[in-house]
Amino acid sequence: MTTSPTLDRPPLRPASPSQLSWLRTELAAWQHEGLIDPALAATLAARYHESRRFSVGRLLLTLGAVFVGVGLIWLVAANLDQLPPTLRFVAVAAIWVALLAAGEAFAARHQRQPGIPRPLVFSVRLLAALALGAVIFQAAQSFQVPAYEPRLVGLWAAGALVHAYVVRGAGPLLVALAAGSTWFVWQVLWDQPSGLGAVLALAVLACVGVAAASLHTTGAAGEQANDRFAAPWREVGAVFALAALFVAALPFVGLADFEWNAWLVGGLVVAGVITAVALGRAGTAIDRMEAVAGVAVAVVAIALAAWETSSDVDLVGPAEWAHAAVSVTAYVAAAIGVALLGTRHDSWRLTASATGALVVFTTFQSFAVFAPIIEGAWLFVVLGLIFLGTGFTFDRARRRLAAALEGEVR
Amino acid sequence: MISMVRKVGVVSVTGLALAAVAVYPQLSARLTGEEIRLRVAPVDPIDPFRGAYVDLQYPDLRLGGPDPRGIDDGDSGDVYLTLRPKGDVWVADSWTRTRPEDGTYLACTDHTWRVRCGIESWFLPQDEAAEMEEAVGDGAIATVRVDDRGHAALVDVEG
Repeated sequence: MTTSPTLDRPPLRPASPSQLSWLRTELAAWQHEGLIDPALAATLAARYHESRRFSVGRLLLTLGAVFVGVGLIWLVAANLDQLPPTLRFVAVAAIWVALLAAGEAFAARHQRQPGIPRPLVFSVRLLAALALGAVIFQAAQSFQVPAYEPRLVGLWAAGALVHAYVVRGAGPLLVALAAGSTWFVWQVLWDQPSGLGAVLALAVLACVGVAAASLHTTGAAGEQANDRFAAPWREVGAVFALAALFVAALPFVGLADFEWNAWLVGGLVVAGVITAVALGRAGTAIDRMEAVAGVAVAVVAIALAAWETSSDVDLVGPAEWAHAAVSVTAYVAAAIGVALLGTRHDSWRLTASATGALVVFTTFQSFAVFAPIIEGAWLFVVLGLIFLGTGFTFDRARRRLAAALEGEVR
Repeated sequence: MISMVRKVGVVSVTGLALAAVAVYPQLSARLTGEEIRLRVAPVDPIDPFRGAYVDLQYPDLRLGGPDPRGIDDGDSGDVYLTLRPKGDVWVADSWTRTRPEDGTYLACTDHTWRVRCGIESWFLPQDEAAEMEEAVGDGAIATVRVDDRGHAALVDVEG
């Protein structure tokens, strides 16, 4: 029998009601089997407190941080001429440093005592990362850097990424991923706008996101932040994989005006290196499959974009039929893959993204692409029948996945 | 506590360094550059992150020819416009794809539909931007500082 250890009252950790319910059931079973004594069971149960991840307080704190951060950037855009540009820059930079320090002070107090809630730490760090954007835009405005300059957003993303990894904060990571994705697509298309360029940029983001998530899951970037950092990277990867296929499926997207540029080549090299490292470090076959799936979606999207068909809606030949059929099949398969990913990682956001993406894709294809080929209503009927069939297959796949995961744990 | 100060210090220094990178050409030109005056013709759009600005075109920096960029070598990328004084203002003399060894010149790019030299936007409060557009519609003079690497910073625009 295990004896209860003397614990130095570690900080309470939040757990959802369902997690707590599961823990209490397991503790009772372990006591019943004689694995632990009642004192240890009580000690273990006392380490967790009930918390709903999506409480109103958390939602309001996040919304508040986003509103204040966007408002700060908007104040920069308002170009308040009551203050000279240098003083405006100093004021915005001081606000940013104060938020940065406040976030870390709250985080340190949260570690020491449970009085400071984690959502408050998250929202202040998020606000500080948004305020860095205001600092960079104010500097650029004060020095009359030309308008619509994508590298400013890229520099903001780089600063937020450094912030995220130095303090291990999820809020700055969200800002870094949003700003970084915006910057990369914008920068690639800034030099030479083209359909294939857009698909390649989205495909690079998909591969980087999925591979970075895999690296975090396998513990390459620090113990504490692994799980919290893996989820945002994975969601970015999944969303951009679906976006790449969406754009590639459009019949007018092709090779026209495409030219390689340094950003695109650099992005592909980075995506290749991260994916190779992720594959090398993957702990299980399913981890490897995730990284490979990101690359597979990227390759299919690029192939679809490079597959030239007529962009004239009145000219629908066998090539256009084949392109449309392959596009729909690939998109449905990718969406099901993202939903499976959501099931595996217990992420409702991935499942919701897959469902939403499928609805938007089907609706868009029905009215914008398939209208001359097949009546929109019939497309819904056909796809509905396909979903019923794939739903049955999907459920079986889910059961097999759950069984495989159980095997992995053992 | 030391760890917290170190984290805040690292992130602050990184962020301020990135802000300096964002404005490096303009900062260098303002601190070390020579002042020149150029004729401008403005229009008035909005940047979502930085607000209203007057978009400036420089008639004397366009070298002519059928290409809207004024450069028709079929290539794009870095381009350097050498300048010479003409009366009270400076005008483009010629262009080259390699950095000139001496003289006053602007370091520009022609990746997009026009040549950009880092002096195309003059940010102002929205009402002032509209007023300036009207006031200088018939032409204006921009004061620009240019350093020895061709980095340019817009210092003033007068109607």
